[in-house]
Amino acid sequence: MRKANSYTLYWMGITFLLFPVLAILGIYMRTVQAGGLAGSLTWFYPMMTLHGVGMVGVWYVAAMACAADILSRYTEPSPAVRGLALFGTLVGVLILLVSAFLGKFAAGWYFLYPLPFKGEWPVWSAVAFLLSLTILGATWLLWSLDLLRAIAVKYSITHALGWHYLAGRSEPEIPPSIMIITVSLIAGVAALVAGVIVLVLFYLELFTGAPSDALLMKNFTFFFGHTIVNLAMYLGVAAAYEVLPQYAGRPWKSNRIVAISWNTVLLIVLFAYFHHLYMDFVQPGTLQYIGQIASYASAIPAAVVTIFGALLLVYRARMRWNLASLLFFLGLIGWAIGGMGAVIDSTISANVRLHNTLWVPAHFHTYMLAGLVFLVFAYFYHCSQEAAAEPERPGLQKLVSFLMVAGAYGFFLMFYLSGAYSVPRRFAIYPAELAHGGTFSAIAAVFATVFLIGFFIYLSETGRRWYKALQTAS
Amino acid sequence: MHRIVAVVLALLFAPVGPARAEADAAGQGRILFEQKCASCHTIGGGPRVGPDLHGAHQRRSEEWLIRFITQPDRMIAEKDEVAVRLVEQFNRIVMPNLGLKEAEAQALLGHIRAASDAAAAPAEIPAAAVAALGRPQLIAPQSIVLGIFFFISAIILLVFAWVGLSTRSPEEVNVKKAYGFRKAMFATASVVVVAALALTMPGAPYAVASLKPDRIVYVAARQFDFVFSDEPITSAADLGRIPTLQRLELPADALVEFRVTSLDVNHGFGVYGPERQLLAQTQAMPGYVNRLRVRLAQGGYYKVFCLEYCAAGHHAMQSGFNVK
Repeated sequence: MRKANSYTLYWMGITFLLFPVLAILGIYMRTVQAGGLAGSLTWFYPMMTLHGVGMVGVWYVAAMACAADILSRYTEPSPAVRGLALFGTLVGVLILLVSAFLGKFAAGWYFLYPLPFKGEWPVWSAVAFLLSLTILGATWLLWSLDLLRAIAVKYSITHALGWHYLAGRSEPEIPPSIMIITVSLIAGVAALVAGVIVLVLFYLELFTGAPSDALLMKNFTFFFGHTIVNLAMYLGVAAAYEVLPQYAGRPWKSNRIVAISWNTVLLIVLFAYFHHLYMDFVQPGTLQYIGQIASYASAIPAAVVTIFGALLLVYRARMRWNLASLLFFLGLIGWAIGGMGAVIDSTISANVRLHNTLWVPAHFHTYMLAGLVFLVFAYFYHCSQEAAAEPERPGLQKLVSFLMVAGAYGFFLMFYLSGAYSVPRRFAIYPAELAHGGTFSAIAAVFATVFLIGFFIYLSETGRRWYKALQTAS
Repeated sequence: MHRIVAVVLALLFAPVGPARAEADAAGQGRILFEQKCASCHTIGGGPRVGPDLHGAHQRRSEEWLIRFITQPDRMIAEKDEVAVRLVEQFNRIVMPNLGLKEAEAQALLGHIRAASDAAAAPAEIPAAAVAALGRPQLIAPQSIVLGIFFFISAIILLVFAWVGLSTRSPEEVNVKKAYGFRKAMFATASVVVVAALALTMPGAPYAVASLKPDRIVYVAARQFDFVFSDEPITSAADLGRIPTLQRLELPADALVEFRVTSLDVNHGFGVYGPERQLLAQTQAMPGYVNRLRVRLAQGGYYKVFCLEYCAAGHHAMQSGFNVK
């Protein structure tokens, strides 16, 4: 039995509260696209914006909470910054809700310049949205820097990045989770700085009228968006590296190959974002090709080192299967399949047929929902169970996993089929020529509901343990 | 001498008094319509984001129309019966207050009257035409993409299932042997990646400068409309002054270059073929011109949909052209 960290439990509570609300917004969107709830059409785009920015934010902080929890086992992040991260996030979310529900702000989660200034929403709601992101960005930047500081105090950054493994030394031993968290936080700082630049340029136009360059803003925006989503995924993978060995009864250690792999990831992840701009033909051609090379190259360390390492860890192991280990295993499958959908989309000649169709939400929902979300759920369950030590019900836990997997993959399949049939993303209603998009939406809404039922059973299993853990938390 | 003759002729034949004022007003109304209204409305071209205004002056009183053109937000807030019904009918997309003055609204009304008289009543889209679209069929490139994705996903699932099931008979693993296998996997993956890059990169859609297009079409995107023209339209002020192409026809098999820009926010210019699937696309960006080249072999009607979210009327932003 190990006492749970109270801040980790608070983050879990926030995630358990916000995730189902945002998921219901997603089901609402698919219902409207299927032709239902026509009277609420004016809410579609504001809710689409809230769903997108909310989900990215929730799973980023949930993954960061896992990382902070893992780090607290090895080093000491600042308690003051830990509290500030929680407070700043709550304030940011509150302002975000005001901009969406009172201002009907609807520029989409990546608020592509200059749309925030040119929509049907009032100016104050755009300002509230930008203010919310400023508070969230500044808070998360500070949080990331503090976690990096805590790592540097214990290991030094070069050791934490495993550079001594590259030089052929194996001491000091660095847990792979620390190495991945360090890589992710460095990428995260770069992403958040790009986000800050975007916000500063927005404010500059707002207060001085000085317009920005649309292509430059797009580059900063996608560098920020792509990197933040990817690093959240990596933090989930770090949780798997940390915890899965406990269930497999085998070690999963750092070595030269793991160090090469994750340092390569750090380099590649900064260049892969160019694939979001393939259809901006004025972007220099070299950058477009670098985008495809970096996107393809990113699959090699992921598949050959991490996925292979996880499979080797589990293969013929005396595995203790429970909700945590099952979800970790399933999460790695989601990461692999979603990643493959992304690699296909990152092929320039395929992107012409897929860009901004529902293929895009297809692959990012796969690696977010069936990848990162499963990994974080696994870690959350693991932490709660470690502290609560409740007897487990294998039958119920298998049912939870089955419902979430069946619901999620049925839901994704409708996105993939829609994408292949060229149904555009972000259409509130479909024109007659693309009416089949509505049929896919209706089926997707049913599958998403099945997932949500599975989630609520998961919540009853984990929530009970979470509550008990809260009573004894440190 | 020539200039003096031209001035005299102009003075002799130019409309004078009320006739000239009427012509000016109609001209101003047409320009205003192109700049402020045509992104959502047509006159005889059928409903778009907002209603077709053909014969609007016969359906509503002049007083109502002037007030709605100048203060739509106020009339909706006051729950004017007709205004509220229109909002409901057009997917709750609310007409914005464009800050038009009464004189400008009068000029617009003049243009609506004149254009309604000149154009035939809009044809209703028969329900049968929509139904006749039938079930869409996947075209080859999209089928290949989906097939590759399903194939690789199936392999991933099989491998994970095999590893997961292997835990039923636990045994120590020969790690050295596994690392040897990993080396082979790395080599195979590297070869596959390099081969895939070599195979797919030449298919990139970027314009090759040495190839001269047979036809150039300028496209100006704006919320929530695509404007085609034979000359570049680079700002809203060009609308109404530079002639636009109301019906675009392109020759089959010709290399057509669309020079796409935006007058406001980012849009997507997605070309859908008669099979209702995406054939080509580019982004429409403010301040930039993207050159999209297509060679359309198949005759028929091609739709254009906006593929970058651009606010409330995004899903209704569409256009099209014929290929013969």
